[in-house]
Amino acid sequence: MANLCHLDSRQITLGIKNGDFSAEEYVSQILERIEKIDGKINAFITVDKEGALEKARLIDRKIRNGEQNIGPLAGVTVGIKDNICTSGLKTTCASKILEDYVPPYDATAVRRLKESDAIIMGKLNLDEFAMGSTTEYSKNGPTHNPWNIDYVAGGSSGGSAASVAALECAISLGSDTGGSIRCPASFCSVVGLKPTYGSVSRYGLVSYANSLEQIGPIGKTVSDVVMVMNAIAGKDNRDHTTLELVPKYTLNPTKKNIRVGLVKELVEGAEPEISKCIYSAMDLFSSLDFKCEETSMNSIEYSLSSYYTIAMAEASSNLARYDNIRYGFDLSPDGYEWNMYFSKVRSNFGQEVKRRIIIGSYVLSAGYYGKYYLKAQKVRSLLKRELKSLFEKYDILIAPTMPLLPFKFGDKIEDPLKMYLIDIDTVIANLSGIPAITVPAGFSNDLPIGLQIMANELQEQTMLDAALIFESATNNIQRSPDL
Amino acid sequence: MGSMEEIRHLGLLSKLELTDQELRKYESQIEEIIRYLDILDRLSLDEIDPVQSTIKFSELRKDYVETFQGDALKNAKHRKDAFIKGPRMS
Amino acid sequence: MVLAVNIGLEIHCQLTALRSKLFCSCHSDYRGKKPNNNVCPICSGLPGSLPLLNQRAIELAGMVSLALGCTVPDKIRFYRKNYFYPDLPKNFQLSQYNFYGISSIGVDGKLDYTGSKKTFIRRVQLEEDPGRLIYETGTSDTNFYTLIDYNRAGVALIEIVTEPDFTDPRDVRIFLNKISSIIEHLGICDTKLEGSVRCDANVSIEGKKKVEIKNVNSFKEVEKALTYEITRQKTMSIHDIEIKAETRHWDDLRKITKQARTKEEEQDYRYFPEPDIPTIVLGNEFVSSLKVNMPELPEERKVRFVTDYKLSEHVAQVLIDNKEISDFFEVSVKIYSSPKEIANWIVTDLMGFIDDSEQKGSIFSGLKIEAKHVADLARLVDQNIINRSTAKTILKQIIKTGEMPSQLVANINASKIDDAGVIAEAVESIFVREKSAVIDAKTNPNVANFLLGKVMQLTKGKADPKIALNLITTKLTESN
Repeated sequence: MANLCHLDSRQITLGIKNGDFSAEEYVSQILERIEKIDGKINAFITVDKEGALEKARLIDRKIRNGEQNIGPLAGVTVGIKDNICTSGLKTTCASKILEDYVPPYDATAVRRLKESDAIIMGKLNLDEFAMGSTTEYSKNGPTHNPWNIDYVAGGSSGGSAASVAALECAISLGSDTGGSIRCPASFCSVVGLKPTYGSVSRYGLVSYANSLEQIGPIGKTVSDVVMVMNAIAGKDNRDHTTLELVPKYTLNPTKKNIRVGLVKELVEGAEPEISKCIYSAMDLFSSLDFKCEETSMNSIEYSLSSYYTIAMAEASSNLARYDNIRYGFDLSPDGYEWNMYFSKVRSNFGQEVKRRIIIGSYVLSAGYYGKYYLKAQKVRSLLKRELKSLFEKYDILIAPTMPLLPFKFGDKIEDPLKMYLIDIDTVIANLSGIPAITVPAGFSNDLPIGLQIMANELQEQTMLDAALIFESATNNIQRSPDL
Repeated sequence: MGSMEEIRHLGLLSKLELTDQELRKYESQIEEIIRYLDILDRLSLDEIDPVQSTIKFSELRKDYVETFQGDALKNAKHRKDAFIKGPRMS
Repeated sequence: MVLAVNIGLEIHCQLTALRSKLFCSCHSDYRGKKPNNNVCPICSGLPGSLPLLNQRAIELAGMVSLALGCTVPDKIRFYRKNYFYPDLPKNFQLSQYNFYGISSIGVDGKLDYTGSKKTFIRRVQLEEDPGRLIYETGTSDTNFYTLIDYNRAGVALIEIVTEPDFTDPRDVRIFLNKISSIIEHLGICDTKLEGSVRCDANVSIEGKKKVEIKNVNSFKEVEKALTYEITRQKTMSIHDIEIKAETRHWDDLRKITKQARTKEEEQDYRYFPEPDIPTIVLGNEFVSSLKVNMPELPEERKVRFVTDYKLSEHVAQVLIDNKEISDFFEVSVKIYSSPKEIANWIVTDLMGFIDDSEQKGSIFSGLKIEAKHVADLARLVDQNIINRSTAKTILKQIIKTGEMPSQLVANINASKIDDAGVIAEAVESIFVREKSAVIDAKTNPNVANFLLGKVMQLTKGKADPKIALNLITTKLTESN
C-alpha cells in the first residue's frame, strides 16, 4: 500500500471517492505516523484514535452505500489547536489551569469541519493560552521544528504547523492573534492563512485577544487552505463579530494584472537571507507580468506597541474567569478563603501569561485608559486609513512573514521583549483586520522562509490567486522534510 | 512603573499572588515592556476616532428561549447536592 | 439644627418581561428551579463562549429611558466591569458606562413627583445579574465553603441612577412608588417577584463623605434605612466624629446599617468596551417606534381619566397609583359605561378590602371580586333596581363569594319593591296593626316615620321608602 500520508486534501477526497483507498486505511496510516514520529516533534497533546477510526468507518460506510451526502472534506485528517473547543475531547490550552477541561460543545469551526466529513485526529500543542511565538511556553514542552528538531517550530500554533509539515495530518486549524498561524507556518514551510477579521466564527475559540484573533487553516498547499476556508468561513449567529459572508473561494486564478506593493520597512527589517528571498519573489512576480513596486508604510513603527497594548489588556480580562470553580484542575475549595483560593489556583499560570495579565491590568487601570488602550485603538484607525489608500494603488502587499529564520530553543525565552519584536511583520494584518497568507518561499541553511501576501478586507480571492500563482511557479519548494 | 511593589499590587488586582522570586524576575522585564508600549506617546491622535465595528439593532438576537442540550457545568469537580462548591467568603 | 442632606439612588430592576437572559437564550425565570439547571456555556462563562445580546432587552430599556425623560443616543455600547467574585462566572460583569463619548441606553432624564418636586436621572443602563451565593449556616462567616447557584447569572437588569437630589426619605418613598408604577405600566418587571427590584442609596450630610447603603431588599425598607442612616450621621456630626466614606449594609432584622465586611470601595474596575459586542446602531426610527408602541404611562393615563372619563384629579390619582386597579377600572367601564360611578365604588368601597402590602401575586388575591361584578353593581344602582346601602351589603358578600350582583339580587329578591300596590298593601296592614300610632300621627308628623319604619320592617327593608312615606302621609291626610 502506497504511503498516503503525503496526500493533500484534494487527493484524499478524490482517492476515497474513487475507491483507490478507504478512509480507514488512510487514517490508520496517519495514526501509525503519529505514533512513530510525534515523540520527536511533540505536536500532539491528545490523539483521538477511537474517534478518528469511528468517523473513518462511517465515511467508508456512506460511500459503500452509495449515499449522496458525502461532505466536501470526506476523509481529510485534521488536527485542532488545543485552544479551540471540541465537544467531549479535552481542551487544555496547554495550561495546568485547564488540564482536565472537557468542553460540552464544539466550536463552530469544528462543527462545520465535522459536517464536511473531515476526520479530527486530535488536539495540537500551542503556547499557553496562545501567548507566545515559539510554543516554548507550553505546559507540555515545546513543539520541535520538523526541519531541524533543535529549532523552534514557531508559535503560538506550533503544533498545528509542525503536524502538517511532518505529515501527521493533512490540514490543521490554528488561531492567529498577532501572527500565531503565519509564524509557525512560515517556520515549518507550509501554507497558513489568517482570514479577514469576522470571516470565521470565534465561537469556541478560547479568547486571548478578541478584537484581534481569528481561527484559520494550515495545509501543505494553497488548495488545502481554500478547501478548509470554504467549509469553516461564513456568518455565525453565535458570534456577533462575524460578517455577512458565504464563502466561495476558488482555485482557478484568472490572471488579471495584479498590482504588487512590497513593504520596504518590513523587507529591510529582516535578516539578509530573508530579504534576498523576498526580492527574488518580487522578481518572480514581475516575470509573470505582475506590476511590482516598492512602497512604504508609516504606521509600522507604532504597530507592535499598539498590538501588545490591546492584546494584553484584553487577555487580562479574558483570563479572569479561570478561578477553578466551574472547570479547571482538581483542587477542593474546602477551608480556603476565596481570595486565597483564587490566588492559589491562578499561580498555576505560566510566566508569560502572568506577565501579560499584569501588564494588561496596568494599561487598563484608572487613569491609563486614554494613554494606552484608547491610543492603541486609534493607531489601528490610522493603520487602516493608510492601508486603504495603499490598496487603491495595489491589489496585494508582500513582505516577509518572519524577520528571521527559525532559531534554537532558549534563544529568546529570557528576554520577552526580544521575543515580541519578531511579530513585526505579522501584527499589521491583525490590527487592521485584513487577510494575510504565508506561502513557502525557500530555504536558507536548510531552514524555511515564508512569503507573506496581504490583501484588502474580504479580498481573500485576490490574495489566494496570487498565492496559487506563486506556488505553481515555485513547486520545487519542499513542504515536508524526510523524517 | 515597574517597581516590585507596583507589580505585586497589580498582581493582586488580578488575583495573582507572585513570589518574591517572580517579582524580582519580572521587575525589569515588565518595566522594559511598558517603556516599549510608551512609544504610543509619540502620537497625539486627538482628531482620530478609535476603530469601531458596528451591528444594527435589527441584527440582534431575538428573545426566544433555547435550552442548552448538555451539561454546561459538568466540569465542576466539587458539588453539594445540585450546588457548586466554592471557597468560603471572608 | 437643620443639616443639609443629600440622597442619591441606584435602583436595580430585573427585566422579568423578557423570556430569555440578556446575553443567552436560557430562561430568564430562574425562581423555583433546581440549582444550576438553567445555564448554558455563555452564562456560566465557559472558555470560548461569546455573548449574544437580547434585542428586546434594548427595547424595554429604551422604554424606561423615555419614560424617565432621558435622551436615548443613536449608538450604545457594552463595557466590561472587571472584578473578581465567586458569583460572577466571568469575573467581569457586562454593563454599560458613560465613557469617551459613548453613553448607555438613557442619559440626562428627569422625573416629576408629588406635583412640584423633581429629581434628575443621571443614567439608565443595562447590565447582567450575577449568580447567587448560599451559605448553609445562614451567615457567610461560619461556613467552610460557599454554595453557588448560577441559574440567575446573566438575567437582564436595568439600573437607574439618580442625581443626589433627594433631601428627605419620605420623598424617596414617594419617588420609588412612582418608579414602581411606571415599571408596572410599562410591563417590564413584575415588582412582586422576590428580588426583582432592589435599591441602593448613597447619603451624605452637610457635604461630608458619602456613605453607600446596600442590601435593602424592598422599596418599603429604603425609607427606614435612610432615616436610620441620616440619624446616625447627624449624631456623629454633632459629636464631631468623622463620617467615613464607606459601604454599609442594611440589616432588616435589627433595622440598622452596619459596616460592610468587604472593601468594596477600593475597586479599580478597569472598564473597557466589550470587544465581542460591536457598537449597536439603534437607527433613526428606534425612538419614534418605541414611543408609538410603548404602553401608556401612568401620567398619561391619569390625564386621559380626567379628560375622557371626567373623573376628578384625586380619584384618577388613586386609580393610577396601582396599575392593577386602573386596569380593573377600565375593564369594568368597558362592560358598563358609568365611569364616575364605578370609580367611586372602587375608590370608596373596594379599596378598603385591598391589602397592597408586601404580598406576592395580585392585590386582588383572596378576593373573588372581578371587574364585571363592579360593572354589574353600578348598573343595578344606576337603574334604581337596588339602593346604595343594599349595594354596599351586596359588595361585601360578592367579595367573598364571587357571585354576580344581579344573580344575588334575583336570588334573595332584593329588588326594591316599587310596585305601589304592594307597598299600599303593606301600609294597610300597618295601619290596622298600629291603630294608636296612626291616631298620634295625625297630630304628630314625626310618628309617620315610626309607621314608615314598621312598613320597612314588614317588607324586610325592600320597600322603596319614598313611595312608602308618600302613601302613609296620603293615607293619614285622607282619613282626616
